[in-house]
Amino acid sequence: MSRNTNPSMNEAKFSDTEKGASSVPAHVEHTMNTPLTRNNGNSATHKNTITNENFINPANIENAEHTNNIASATNTANNANDEQAQPSWLAELEQQSRRQQQTFIDHISSRLGRPRATEPPQHPFRGAPTFWNEWSWNEQERIERFTAHFQEVGGHVVSVDSLEAAGEWIVQYAQELKAREIVRQQLPELQQLRLEQRLPDVHIAVWNENVQIDWRATAAGADIGIVMADGAAAYTGTVMVTSSAVQGRSVSLLPTVCIVLLYKENLHTRLGELLIPMDQRGREQLPAGVHFISGPSRSSDIENDLTIGVHGPGIIYTLLIG
Amino acid sequence: MSTSEQRSTTVKERADIALNNDFLRKAVRFTTERLRNGKQIASTEHGNWDEWRERGRQIRLHTIAHLDYYLNLFVDNARANGVHVHFAEDTAAATEIVMTIARHKQAQSVVKSKSMVSEELHINHALEEAGIEAVESDLGEYIIQLAGEGPSHIVIPAIHKNRYQIAELLSEDAGEQLPPDTTILAGYVRRKLREKFLDADIGMTGCNFAIAETGSMVLFENEGNARMVTTVPKTQITLMGMERIIPSWEDLEVMATLLPRSATGQRLTMYMSGITGPKRQQDGDGPEEMHIVIVDNGRSSQLGDPEFQELLNCIRCGACLNVCPVYRQIGGHSYGGTYSGPIGAVLTPALNRNVAEWDDIANASSLCGACYEACPVKIPLHDMLVYLRRRKVERGLGNRWESLGMKGFAVVMGNSKRLGAALKMGRLFQKPIVHNGTISLKVGPLKGWNTYRDMPSMADDPFRERWTKLEQELDQQSVTMDQTMQDRMEQLIQARQRRQRGDRNES
Repeated sequence: MSRNTNPSMNEAKFSDTEKGASSVPAHVEHTMNTPLTRNNGNSATHKNTITNENFINPANIENAEHTNNIASATNTANNANDEQAQPSWLAELEQQSRRQQQTFIDHISSRLGRPRATEPPQHPFRGAPTFWNEWSWNEQERIERFTAHFQEVGGHVVSVDSLEAAGEWIVQYAQELKAREIVRQQLPELQQLRLEQRLPDVHIAVWNENVQIDWRATAAGADIGIVMADGAAAYTGTVMVTSSAVQGRSVSLLPTVCIVLLYKENLHTRLGELLIPMDQRGREQLPAGVHFISGPSRSSDIENDLTIGVHGPGIIYTLLIG
Repeated sequence: MSTSEQRSTTVKERADIALNNDFLRKAVRFTTERLRNGKQIASTEHGNWDEWRERGRQIRLHTIAHLDYYLNLFVDNARANGVHVHFAEDTAAATEIVMTIARHKQAQSVVKSKSMVSEELHINHALEEAGIEAVESDLGEYIIQLAGEGPSHIVIPAIHKNRYQIAELLSEDAGEQLPPDTTILAGYVRRKLREKFLDADIGMTGCNFAIAETGSMVLFENEGNARMVTTVPKTQITLMGMERIIPSWEDLEVMATLLPRSATGQRLTMYMSGITGPKRQQDGDGPEEMHIVIVDNGRSSQLGDPEFQELLNCIRCGACLNVCPVYRQIGGHSYGGTYSGPIGAVLTPALNRNVAEWDDIANASSLCGACYEACPVKIPLHDMLVYLRRRKVERGLGNRWESLGMKGFAVVMGNSKRLGAALKMGRLFQKPIVHNGTISLKVGPLKGWNTYRDMPSMADDPFRERWTKLEQELDQQSVTMDQTMQDRMEQLIQARQRRQRGDRNES
């Protein structure tokens, strides 16, 4: 598939957002010069299928120094209801809520006209109809449909052979856009893009590399955000990205352009193939944020005119690798 | 134009204002048509739409039937994720909880993504009274906030405004003339709200679905503002109707199939986010503190009510508004409440409990059933409108003249002689007001009908009186005509009888 760039349109959009970037508070550190991380020996990859280990685990974090800091930062939900850590007003609200829970739920049972249900009820209609779960597209169809659906709503899809080729494409794209700031997630694959070496004039911020920095403001000031997709669904033209210590939610949200890297083997047919693993994973293993992205930010609020970018990135690329 | 002010007028008065506003009627018709066609295309493309609707209905029915179990499960799981869960019986309790959090956070600014519950609670007023800036970040909500209005559509809050009116409002806000170009208008709001997001102390959201088994909340949106609100501010407050629960992520696939297609005709909204608890300790963004306020506010009164419990199945897609012949003419504000259209006509009286004050909007319907046809979870809204009307009459709140008329009608129709006499009287008395076979007099009970059309006059020689004669004619004709036919029939019968006898002889 050929590259789907339209330089004139990108130029126009880009200059529009440079205004946006200049409105970021002055305290944003534009000239920071964090030493680049190098750990090319790390062979951990992101090529797992969705049903297996696919969320980032601490061992994958590229910077060894950081591994110590973030070792405890698994996606396990924190226990913020730790009573000692709470200010008194919050502890009071919390107690009030626990008192009300019984009454509130009992009231529902009594309205339903039966004693409180404590056993899990039989749920014979769970999920999509059976016929739906019994079909899928082959790889070629998945790629074609995903591309068509993502492009139909204004997104771009570029097929590349390898991570190396993805890096090359990003370099050329960043040069076309005259990008000055790029923010990327702190993942080994993205390290392998070698953007730091290939784009010496561009400042590349690596998410959460330095805890002293206001990362939200950094992402807001960036021209391009680069993230790795955990999976995708061709039927709706959707990529899935998750949050963790090394995967900021802001990276796919605040920059002007969002570039999502997706391995072909993680491209599924149905949305359910991304959702059902969430149930299997269970509450304790879910990341704080799971975001399903189906195209550029839009609004339907003015005359249902679905053609415009609003708060999120107005330009989004999926690089299909493999 | 807040709802409390509107309540003093009747739906008819409000509709009259809307009907005389050509801008509004054109804008609403233009956009509802787009939405309706979009839904038609998206549901046809998907295929097996009725099976999906049925599946959606079953999941919602099941969840609501076991709401005590699932809501309790959700609360326990959300707490385990580190969320502070609160319960609010009504508007006052919900407002109190939100204000307590805002006060202790010393919040100066709250940035909000679209939430119908927050509109229902009028939380912006409470915040503003306490001197806290409340900024709506959804483009449509931002527009109506500037206009000082409530939403007139569940999905497209500013549907009653066209791009020219929106350009005017935003130009005033910007202090410069903006052209009526949606890209430029949205670009202005993007720049303006970026700083608001970064400055806000609290992010406030609604909740499309809450997943009981993992304690997650799910938001559907196109703009990215809900993601902003759940990513940038340090504190997140989510207002959630207590019926928003679904059991699992697996069930979410069905809702994600039905909701965007029904709402805007999209395969999926640009963003669908599942938020499971506040940010993890080492995360670089996301809220440090997360609150979910579970709101009853009249919802539980529909539980256990066989006629209205299905109302809780609603997924707030707005499809019933887009197909409603009444909504399409009068727009959302005529309904007077937060929720408009067929769903609003039923939900508003149900949530407000003081049915007497609200029941007139149940009359703003032609009972055509288009809302049911469009509903992705098959809520029989047109039946519910009839139930509301019946309950009103049963409470003795019906129109006295209407009741009297119905009684009179029963007396006349109950006896054919009385009906014949009444029709004769009618033919006699209509003479002075019939012109060219029609009645166009706009007086008394005739006014409502004759303002927009003419009523045909009663026939001089009505069918009812011609029937005796007609029947005789038919009888005579049938006898003469049937002679040959009858011969043939008799031959057939004889032949059959002979065959049957032959059969018996053989056996």
